[in-house]
Amino acid sequence: MTKFNILAIGLLVVLTTPLAAEELTALELVEKVYNRPDGEDMQSDLKMSLVNSRGDARVREIRQLSKDFGTDEKKIMFFQAPADVRNTSFMNWTYGEAGKSDDQWIFLPALKKVKRISSDSKGDYFMGSDFTYDDLGDRHPASDTHKVTGREEIDGEPCTIVESVSIEEDYIYSKTLSWIADEKWIVLKKEFYDEDDELLKILTVEEHSEIDGYWTVTHSEMQNLQRDHTTIMILENIKLDQGVPDNKFTERIMARGL
Amino acid sequence: MQRFLTSIAKHPIPVFALVALISVLAFMQMKENTRMETDLDEYMPKDHPAFIYSDEAEEWFDIKDGIIIAVENVEGIYNPGTLGKVKDLTKKLQAMDAIERGDVTSLSNADNITGSEDGLDVRAFFRKVPQEVDKLEDLEARVNANAMIQDRLVSSDGKVTLIVARINDGAFSQEFYKEIVDLSSGYEGPEKIHVAGRPIVEGTMALLGPKDMKKMVPIVLLLIVIVLMFVLRSLKGTLLTLMVVALSTLWTFGLMAAFGIPIYAVTTMIPVMLIAIGVADGIHIYNHLKLARVQHPEFSKQEAVVDLIHNMWKPVTMTSVTTGIGFISLLTSQVYPIKYFGLFTAFGVMVAMILSLVLIPTGTLAFGMPAALRARGKSSFAGASSKFAEAVLKHRRAIFISTLILIALLGSGITKVWINSSFLEKFEKDSDIVLTDAFINEHFGGTSTLNVILESEIDDAFKDPALLALVDEMQVRSEELAEVGNSFGLTDYLKQINKVMNADDPAYDAIPESQDLVAQYLLLYEMSGDPETLWETVDYGFKRSNVMLQLKGDDSKTINKAIDIVESYRSQFKNLGVDVNYAGSGYKSLIFTDLILKGQISSLILSLVIVIVLLSLMFKRLIAGFIGAIPIVITAIVNFGVMGLLGIPLSTTTALISSIAIGVGIDYAVHFIDRYRINAALTGDLHATVKETMHHSGSAILFNAMVVMAGFLVLLFSAFPPNRALGALVSFNMFTSLVGTVTIMLVVMVQTRLYFKKSNADRLSSAGTISTPQKEAAND
Repeated sequence: MTKFNILAIGLLVVLTTPLAAEELTALELVEKVYNRPDGEDMQSDLKMSLVNSRGDARVREIRQLSKDFGTDEKKIMFFQAPADVRNTSFMNWTYGEAGKSDDQWIFLPALKKVKRISSDSKGDYFMGSDFTYDDLGDRHPASDTHKVTGREEIDGEPCTIVESVSIEEDYIYSKTLSWIADEKWIVLKKEFYDEDDELLKILTVEEHSEIDGYWTVTHSEMQNLQRDHTTIMILENIKLDQGVPDNKFTERIMARGL
Repeated sequence: MQRFLTSIAKHPIPVFALVALISVLAFMQMKENTRMETDLDEYMPKDHPAFIYSDEAEEWFDIKDGIIIAVENVEGIYNPGTLGKVKDLTKKLQAMDAIERGDVTSLSNADNITGSEDGLDVRAFFRKVPQEVDKLEDLEARVNANAMIQDRLVSSDGKVTLIVARINDGAFSQEFYKEIVDLSSGYEGPEKIHVAGRPIVEGTMALLGPKDMKKMVPIVLLLIVIVLMFVLRSLKGTLLTLMVVALSTLWTFGLMAAFGIPIYAVTTMIPVMLIAIGVADGIHIYNHLKLARVQHPEFSKQEAVVDLIHNMWKPVTMTSVTTGIGFISLLTSQVYPIKYFGLFTAFGVMVAMILSLVLIPTGTLAFGMPAALRARGKSSFAGASSKFAEAVLKHRRAIFISTLILIALLGSGITKVWINSSFLEKFEKDSDIVLTDAFINEHFGGTSTLNVILESEIDDAFKDPALLALVDEMQVRSEELAEVGNSFGLTDYLKQINKVMNADDPAYDAIPESQDLVAQYLLLYEMSGDPETLWETVDYGFKRSNVMLQLKGDDSKTINKAIDIVESYRSQFKNLGVDVNYAGSGYKSLIFTDLILKGQISSLILSLVIVIVLLSLMFKRLIAGFIGAIPIVITAIVNFGVMGLLGIPLSTTTALISSIAIGVGIDYAVHFIDRYRINAALTGDLHATVKETMHHSGSAILFNAMVVMAGFLVLLFSAFPPNRALGALVSFNMFTSLVGTVTIMLVVMVQTRLYFKKSNADRLSSAGTISTPQKEAAND
């Protein structure tokens, strides 16, 4: 699907709102989520806990900044803890153009060098967590075919369940099921099925709130049932639309700090 | 007891009905509940500290046994066909239930860690199988440049590549084994596919074990029929005795099934044991019947049976009880299969005893006496035994001295006895499984793994460059051993990342110089790829680390050599606050065999003590108990001496020898002393007593020994070398016991004037002088 088509659908969605959830097609629902306004820029503190089957946890504290550049998004992260990776920074540029890989850099203070990271695909796991880059919300609606399979309430929120199947073969998931909250257009729960069609992971949104007028997920957990491993992501001190300058997303800032 | 047995014998219909009923019940139990235990973990005692620790460590680091599939192409593996097969096999293995997707590693999914001017790059060697020559050459170059792959997944000559599939605990089954073998054989040609690894060794053993026994049982039955026909000269007698041993085996397995106890490798030997040992009762009983017929031709059927029960129930009970004790003593073992083996074989021996005492008299009354038994070669045997008795008496000193020399010579061999924990060495040297193992060991690090578990109290200890450097040094030192193919740990990740981040400069093929750099490299690695395998080498707190040493063999000698190197670093690790332990199936086997040896010693001592006490009680002399123990003590010394000198290792199988040797070997002494005492009381003359005893007891003992030896020699047809060693050694032990009984034990009996008054000491040579018979002996 070309960029033009996506824009066309987006336009269509805008022109035909407000529509009741049941009247939207599955693709439209997913588009709603993908294009949900979340501010031009965002500052927050991310606390990421990785918990293995024995309950051992590794906790990382990250100060992060992100900003939209048209359909592209730039993000920069600074590690605060643990101490031995303090000031390590990570920068990610995501492109709206379908099929274009992210660009990623890392700055290691012990090496005093910025290095590029290249890896295979967006199916890769993010920083050893149970989230892939795709799971974090980067996956374009056009990469899958979607259909509505039912409705269900999650924590009292009416949701539509959408099943998505990858168009590209060989994708890490055979299908995903998303519980999309009406009107808020956030995914409150998501199930991921592996290549053998067995349940692999469950994403649950523990907390979400309206911050500066945008619906934002502040606490989510991803549980990998097959590995018996869980990642907990908690966002704090969220600030939206603060007018983060464009020049914060450079290798120089990575090395120098905010 | 005697009265009871006699009255039972008169009611054949209820007796046979009851026996038939129990047999049917046993058969039904066996059919429904019998299962083979193939998981070798089930053989190990779970409450032993070393096993508890190992099980814990296996969980910390997700340590599992792996199946290794080697794909060999003599033209080289870098062609679309071979690589396609590797990718295909990998996918098929990943889809299996017993295997987690992430637990299959091959060239088609392994991460290649490389560096560029820009940074770190972690990606698969290939996604789609490369077709063009330049892409294939590029792949080969990338493999050759990666120390974590070269020699680990691909052989250095580029002709063999491995697929390693770690399987879930307890997921191994016969079906799974068959699935793996069928799957891999489907990919043969022009490539050769070799399957190895501990689960395969265990699976093959579990498959071959029962097969082996199915082959063994008919042979031993046929052999026993021939021997019985020869000894008893009666079809009726042969059939009844055969029925006794067959039913005792059936009842034993029925009971085992009723208690839900699975069949272990070692318990598959129970049928051969019970058949070979169980016929002894029948032989003794018929031997008496035959003798009674010669001595009392006037006896009716009923009189003969009454006389038989009167004379035989005691010795049959006594010999069976002592045999049972030999097996029961195995209960001291901490190893459950051996405990069960001892317990159920003892049960089977008791069943054989009861059935012999019930079925043979009852059968005799119901179906008539066995066909006329002609005493064969009696005179010639009498002559030979007499001459032999004379010779023993004449050369007492020589026998005594040569026994001492023999003990001294073979006793030195005992120290050379070694324990072998190898499962692989249970197979033929030229069997597929051994050849495949050798093939993989030749091209790669090794098929067996020793997990060295390092533990510190301090958080992030394994980010400390000083500690990591020491671990690395230990790895390098152990790799210098011919037995250690390679090693793998956290250090290997760090060295590879450090190297590629510094433009592949060999100077950086070392541990990074600061903790921060270690931590940042690891973070970088986590961000770059799928770090799951990293956690097989270190825990989240970096307090524990797992270093894997790949060994060329799974035998105790190899494992101990590697452990020796690790132990030489123990004090240095201690200085850094790090404790050293071991884990994994190879190490567990090592501990396991150690337990077997300890159990061996304790069960040997226990059975010896019980046997001495029983003999003392039976023969009403403490000294008789000790004298009776002489042949079996000598047998034990000779047995272990020979094992040491011939290099036959103690294993789970050969550990059973001493119990069998004591339990069965003591019977000869029991018969001999019993007869000696009776004769001493009857004749009061030492010379006559010795001759008579040799004549009467000698034939019974000789037949008994022959049957048992023949039965155990059948094990020489086994597919497993340790079973063959067991058969040969038990037969050899029976021979030693026999010879020891009629020579040195007799000499000691004569010297100690057992059952004769001291006053006769100086009249030994003057035959004909009557001495006073012992009162209690005469009363018996």
